[in-house]
Amino acid sequence: MRISAAFLWLVLAVPVVVRGEAALPREPLTAVGSVSSSSLVRVNSTNQAFDFFRPWTKKAPFLRRGLGVVLQGGQILVTAELVANRTYVELEKAGSGEKSPAEIVVVDYDCNLALLRPTDLTFLKEAKPVSLDSGASVGDKASILQLESNGLIADTPGVITTITVAGYPLDHLALLTYRISAPLQNREGSFTIPAIRDGRLLGLLMRYDSRTQTADVIAAPVISHFLDDAKLATYPGFPRAGLVFAATRDPQFRRYIGLKEDGVYITEIRPGSAAEKSGLRKGDVILAVGGKPVDPDGNYEEPGIGKIPFSHITNTLAHVGDTVNFSILREGKRETIPVTLTSVRDEQSISDAYEFDRQPRYLILGGVVFRELSRAYLQEWGGNWMKDAPQRLVYLDAFQNELPPDRGKIVFLSQVFPTPNTLGYENLEHLVVTKVNGVPIKSLDDLAKAAKSTKDGFLKIEFDEDPSFIYLDASDNEKSRTQLMQDYGIPALENLEPITK
Amino acid sequence: MCRRFAGLACVLLLLSLPAEAARVAESLVRIQATSQDPNYRAPWSAGEVAGGVGAGFIIAGNRIMTNAHVVSNARFLAVSKEGDPKPYPARVFHIAHDCDLALLTVDNPNFFTNTAALHFGGIPAIESTVSVYGYPIGGDRLSVTRGIVSRIDFQTYTHSGVDSHLAVQIDAAINPGNSGGPVLQEGKVVGVAFQGYSGDVAQNVGYMIPTPVIQRFLKDVEDGHYDRYMDLTIAYHPLHNPAMRRALGLTDGDSGVFVGSVYGGGVSEGRLRPGDVLLAIDGLPIASDGTVTMDGAPVEMAEVVERKFKGEKVDFKVLRDGKEIIVTIPLTHAWPFSLQAQAYNEKPRFVVFGGLVFQPVDANFMAEHNPDDLRLHFYFDNFISRNIYREREEIVVLSNVLADPVNAYASEFRYEIVDKINGKKIQRIDDVAAAFKTPADYYVIDMVGKGRPLVLERKAVEEARDRITARYQVTSHENLQK
Repeated sequence: MRISAAFLWLVLAVPVVVRGEAALPREPLTAVGSVSSSSLVRVNSTNQAFDFFRPWTKKAPFLRRGLGVVLQGGQILVTAELVANRTYVELEKAGSGEKSPAEIVVVDYDCNLALLRPTDLTFLKEAKPVSLDSGASVGDKASILQLESNGLIADTPGVITTITVAGYPLDHLALLTYRISAPLQNREGSFTIPAIRDGRLLGLLMRYDSRTQTADVIAAPVISHFLDDAKLATYPGFPRAGLVFAATRDPQFRRYIGLKEDGVYITEIRPGSAAEKSGLRKGDVILAVGGKPVDPDGNYEEPGIGKIPFSHITNTLAHVGDTVNFSILREGKRETIPVTLTSVRDEQSISDAYEFDRQPRYLILGGVVFRELSRAYLQEWGGNWMKDAPQRLVYLDAFQNELPPDRGKIVFLSQVFPTPNTLGYENLEHLVVTKVNGVPIKSLDDLAKAAKSTKDGFLKIEFDEDPSFIYLDASDNEKSRTQLMQDYGIPALENLEPITK
Repeated sequence: MCRRFAGLACVLLLLSLPAEAARVAESLVRIQATSQDPNYRAPWSAGEVAGGVGAGFIIAGNRIMTNAHVVSNARFLAVSKEGDPKPYPARVFHIAHDCDLALLTVDNPNFFTNTAALHFGGIPAIESTVSVYGYPIGGDRLSVTRGIVSRIDFQTYTHSGVDSHLAVQIDAAINPGNSGGPVLQEGKVVGVAFQGYSGDVAQNVGYMIPTPVIQRFLKDVEDGHYDRYMDLTIAYHPLHNPAMRRALGLTDGDSGVFVGSVYGGGVSEGRLRPGDVLLAIDGLPIASDGTVTMDGAPVEMAEVVERKFKGEKVDFKVLRDGKEIIVTIPLTHAWPFSLQAQAYNEKPRFVVFGGLVFQPVDANFMAEHNPDDLRLHFYFDNFISRNIYREREEIVVLSNVLADPVNAYASEFRYEIVDKINGKKIQRIDDVAAAFKTPADYYVIDMVGKGRPLVLERKAVEEARDRITARYQVTSHENLQK
């Protein structure tokens, strides 16, 4: 099964390779960087993430350095990863080392892009802006630019070997990616590295595998989409249909569903997605998207690129609010379903794929810490989090789309501070809360509210696993607040700030 | 030979226990086991043959006691005595995988001439000295090591991996080959050496099965049948929290434990409820940490049940909704959902259809396949704790795809859990076999969480059958018997 939109973080290795489409009618363009260091600016971002195990504190700050590209209008393009959880961002001129603080214009972690501008508007007066080149094809040459410590450009030539739709590292969204084969050397400032052709920007590197010497590059059409949206009064975010499909190559399956045409079989509709609102259903066979016929693997022919997954149409070529027609086969009949695309940002997820630039929500009652499940919390277990983090929570995160649509957030008891009130509860952790005093809990706000109305002075907290419940004494909870904050150095016993994307 | 052995032992035991060593030499048995472990990857094949050496000792009634893990999956057993060059064929008389004990018998009566049965003692005191006899790392001659009793508590018995019973920790070296050997104190058996840690985990930590567990096993098999341990099939928790105690209507004393879960299909279902407070078991007051006082020492409340047999009962004094009531639980049968226990002397069950191999998931399967599938791991790990067993008695998966044109597109379904076949819910592997025997043009296999079914055409499967049988040497297309 190929996954178009949801949960691509699981299957980064899946996307279709379009190597076969390299037979191009024209000569590959010669790779001449012809971008001077005046088009590039060093970006130094001091970042400080919240500690997801102690959400009332931040971890130690650290510096990330990248190479921003100066665009028309004096704005600077970098990857969002460079400035995630930023506390202070500064620009540094390549040659002179002159610095200026910068502010964020737009950051979008879904497409891993951010736009900056210097607070001193004259800072980039002499810079030469770079424009975008969206016409890359497989086999084209590219220059990957880095800066030497003396400010000179280090130009590594490479070749685009693959163009496909692949998962972006910070989120579950799959977008157009150039894969460039190039022997990059390590230079400081690796958190944004531009790929250039003929003085124009092909894309920004988002990951590099030094073993295979391949770089995955955020492709120019994605950047172009981002820049268009960044001009709007409110940045809308990237759209997607919100469905998962399976290939229909299996002849026995084709005969069983009576399918004689090309197309793909919808296996899942994401709750609350554009696909759901449009009336697309599990079991529909998608024959064409936006008028482009879809093959049994879910690919279509994009001029100049070749065969790529149709999600490029819905996720990048179209914008939020656009309507894309899906031609489908349902119960043997052809139908056209217009899908009005909504933003990934507006989708309600049970467990958020990332949490940057905001304090995690939590609530501490008498020494018992409650949280809402998010993938960022699970990722705190490190690179092997899918195996090391509590499996119950990993499972709920991975299969959240199978939960009832009205499930709400998953509130769980994350840890217990030993206090006289929590005597005997010290070993409780990672228990999903179902009810408090009989009231169903679908968010920390529900919990905070339920905790205010006690029953005989007790709070009965019910879990969906062993032990089925515990009691807390509400008045003891109140009385112990100051002591708890003092003893464990907790500045606040709750953060219930609503999440805004 | 016998004298030489005794002399050697005397040196080791510093003349203090010559009588003990001589007696052990008449009782100790070296067990050579030839076993065949089933192959859960190719479940139709007979499995690989391997050999191993363990120890055992003769007890009353011409029986040999050893560990279950010494003789599990055995196809042929040969036992030999100290000072007798002849190996004798032996067979398993009773085996208890949940407490890692087995009784063997030797049909040739000559074997038992000039032997002496060992007798059992009690639980040795902490810090008292014990001697361990056996054949560590496989040698032919008896070896003895000595140490003190370090600790007595509940331990997981690794043979099944899920059962916990009383175990005695000793600091005498216990190595492979010691398994099944007697641990003696003052001429009496106080335990059976059975497990230890490898040196890089913990040093000088070995475990023996103490006599209460051994005596229980011997008593259980008196009727000619081993009925296993009885289990209350509840989860209970200490009641230390003051708010919890008050809310449940308890005083600030230190009695009672709290029932967190009651598992379905067990003896407590319908008798105990989550939230019940257990105050006493068979008249013994239960402390808030879950212990009762037996024979003057605090022991886990579970020990009361540990000592009981099928057909007996337990009485609980229960505080429920503020009222004290007596709840009697008849111990009628063992918990049926033991898929997390390592199983032995079982044949893998499976169904092959169109080159698709279906198998029920258990600990053996998981150990062999170790699939990287998040959902399967979750279902397996939480089969009991998350009540998955209430929905399906067994987790049946598509465990392998024997590649063939008929299943060319099935590989993406590997390790998925079978939910339904042609609309019929799959509760156990037998249901898979039955579904494929029901005539239909298409076999539509729905997997848990998969948005599309795996479809096989009857005609294509029939055409492929002989081809797959020959190509993969699938000697049998199903086995539904353990």
